[in-house]
Amino acid sequence: MRMSTLRWTVLVIAFIVLTYGGLVGISLGDFLPTFACWYVGESRGGDCFLWHVQHHFSGHGGPGYLVRPNAPMLLYFFLLLLVLGKAWCGWICPLGFIMDVLDLARRRLNMGYLFFSQRLRARLAPIKWVLLFLSLVVPLSCFPFFMRSQIASDLSQPYCQWCPAKYVVPLCVGNVEEIAVNFRSGVGIFMTAVGLVVAGLFLIGALTKRRFWCSFCPMGLVIGLCRKISIVKLKKNCQACTRCGICYNVCPLDIEEIFTERTRTNVTYQDCILCMKCIENCPEEGVLSATFCGRTIYRATQKGFFSNPVASGRRARQEPAVGAADTISADEGEPVLSGSRPS
Amino acid sequence: MPRQEDTTEELQRRKARFVRALGRSTEKVLHELEADDRRPATMNRFLDVLRRAFLSGEEVDGPALHPGQKVIGTYCIMAPEEFIYAAGAVPIRLCGGSYEAALAGDDLVPRDICPVVRASAGLTSFGLLPIYRRFDAVIVPTTCDGKRKLGEALSDFLPVWMLEVPHIKETERSRIEWLEQIYAVKRNIEKLTCRKINRKTLREAIGRIARAQYQARRLHELRSADPIVVLGQHAMLALNAYAYDTVDEWAGAMTRFNDELEQRRRQGRSVADKRAPRVLLAGSPVVFPNWKLPMLIEEMGGVVVIDETCMADRLLYDPVGVSEGSMTEMIRGIAARLIMPCTCPSFSPNEDRMYRLRQLVEKFRVDGVIYHVLKGCMIYDFEVARVERMMKEAGVPLLRVETDYNPEDVEQLRTRIEAFLEMTGAKKSEARCESNEILCGN
Repeated sequence: MRMSTLRWTVLVIAFIVLTYGGLVGISLGDFLPTFACWYVGESRGGDCFLWHVQHHFSGHGGPGYLVRPNAPMLLYFFLLLLVLGKAWCGWICPLGFIMDVLDLARRRLNMGYLFFSQRLRARLAPIKWVLLFLSLVVPLSCFPFFMRSQIASDLSQPYCQWCPAKYVVPLCVGNVEEIAVNFRSGVGIFMTAVGLVVAGLFLIGALTKRRFWCSFCPMGLVIGLCRKISIVKLKKNCQACTRCGICYNVCPLDIEEIFTERTRTNVTYQDCILCMKCIENCPEEGVLSATFCGRTIYRATQKGFFSNPVASGRRARQEPAVGAADTISADEGEPVLSGSRPS
Repeated sequence: MPRQEDTTEELQRRKARFVRALGRSTEKVLHELEADDRRPATMNRFLDVLRRAFLSGEEVDGPALHPGQKVIGTYCIMAPEEFIYAAGAVPIRLCGGSYEAALAGDDLVPRDICPVVRASAGLTSFGLLPIYRRFDAVIVPTTCDGKRKLGEALSDFLPVWMLEVPHIKETERSRIEWLEQIYAVKRNIEKLTCRKINRKTLREAIGRIARAQYQARRLHELRSADPIVVLGQHAMLALNAYAYDTVDEWAGAMTRFNDELEQRRRQGRSVADKRAPRVLLAGSPVVFPNWKLPMLIEEMGGVVVIDETCMADRLLYDPVGVSEGSMTEMIRGIAARLIMPCTCPSFSPNEDRMYRLRQLVEKFRVDGVIYHVLKGCMIYDFEVARVERMMKEAGVPLLRVETDYNPEDVEQLRTRIEAFLEMTGAKKSEARCESNEILCGN
């Protein structure tokens, strides 16, 4: 099976489990490092870690809640980060799945994509830090001062109000309640209105840029910060690399370093979502590879490259050796485009 | 300006003289290649392609080649052939390799410039070969100084599309500018052929070229096999023939060629002595019919196990990477494949070439490097020092050979190459003795 097919399979299964799993009693807990959105409601199969962190930080359930439930939750969360690292983003995240579906729609519509230049990437990088800061600091500041006030309750989930997952993922279970401005208070109006604008931008973004939200995601940032200790890694053999730049072109996050790198072996960058497209499309034997616990689980091969249906090498190998020459007359009488090869 | 007064008798006579001399020298090379029984039988197809391109003379004139299709000439490997095929036209690589054509080009370009440029100018201005009387437009990438000014010189004879190649490929800005250039070429081709390049046709064209590239890479792998299954001069000739062939036919012929080599490998049949020094032929392009260097090396007992020239191994090595098949992605992929992995010394810095050469030395277990410098090819000559330094570190001797298309220096080259091969051969057997811990007598 091709890696991209495998990834799609896992992504679909993960989406079904995380979004509809609750219907058959699946509950994976509240420490998932991925956007398994709490707002999906009862049918969800697991909860996003960020929702619970904000919830506890804002003091719901009393002061003791700041530490007690957070400790095991944090522990499990970091264990998960250790095991899969950024693969959570590329392989499991339901919002990532939705972005990939929109990406597929874009291709069907015959649209190209926008790519972020390295300068733009650098400029956008602080946004996810700001979002992370807000999602931790705002609930904490609610905690001591306005414990039971309306403002505190409206500010208890600041990131979630701005997260496109809150508006988009519930739609998949037919829940349209979230798509409304909360008129309970001024803060509520502001937060939900901004959130709806972000969700609108998300839809446009995901239709024009590959993995649009991943550049802004604070969860991805946290996972990325743990990439050094995570046991899933993307490796590069810099000596054998020809710097053809294919890995960069197929990278949904436009990570330039992946091909410019000439010294480091570990190329799991902050933004990388371990979708492994770069490995799949690398034409050099073993230049890029994914390792789990130091063992190579997937590596680039020439054969793999030429089995890509677009690059069409697969047909080349399956075709009988004489096929091509026989179908065209020797004197180029036929227009080159017709009948030159079986489709 | 030969073309403008084409009717004058004197010019006609000169042209006829050039055509005759070119024919004779090409035929001589082809004969020599055909007389060699170490060549794979399936190589005949490539010899035929070259014979047809070089020797059909006046019989096959312009429009008889590729009837009903536009023909677009290309120089260097930076011209996007994918677009040409996608628009239903035919690309022909025009870099010249003939001594007589280089003489003919002396009126048009300076005598000190490299013979590739001189020969290309001569072939175009006199229309010495049928293919040079045929094309509708020509794409000239601005790689080295010679090619850049060649574009201007050729524009007196036919429509020339200059393709500005960035000389620093590391920066994002140059990549984006290059992408714009690629889009401009695409528009030019669409205008010429009156056919829109769309997703389907481009996808198909990429696939067709990928098929040829797959075979070229297969040859690359087979050349690294342990019994030496093919001589460098034959492998390079097969790759050279791509310039004058259409991609599908070439890929078909190459498949058969590779199959034959594969069979040789399975049978353990070697075309050269095990002790023969394994040579990497680096540097300036070896363009048919200037076959003297590879022939000489192999005549003197060496084997060109691999080359890094843009008319042979590098010609079809780098494929387009496509994961989703949208227009944007395919065009970006084409733009990237044309310059990013390219190790042409017109790029500066060109650290990638050093990496590439190291890779080749290691993969092909190279014993010695013969560095081909065509007289007037400044940029390849410029990098000799760096390459030599690097090879010294790797413990591989290097011989710089400066020559042009003139056959007169063959004897002198023979002496130098013979001495170099003897030296590397001796070094090789010494190393082997050491590694086998066998006492080699005295």
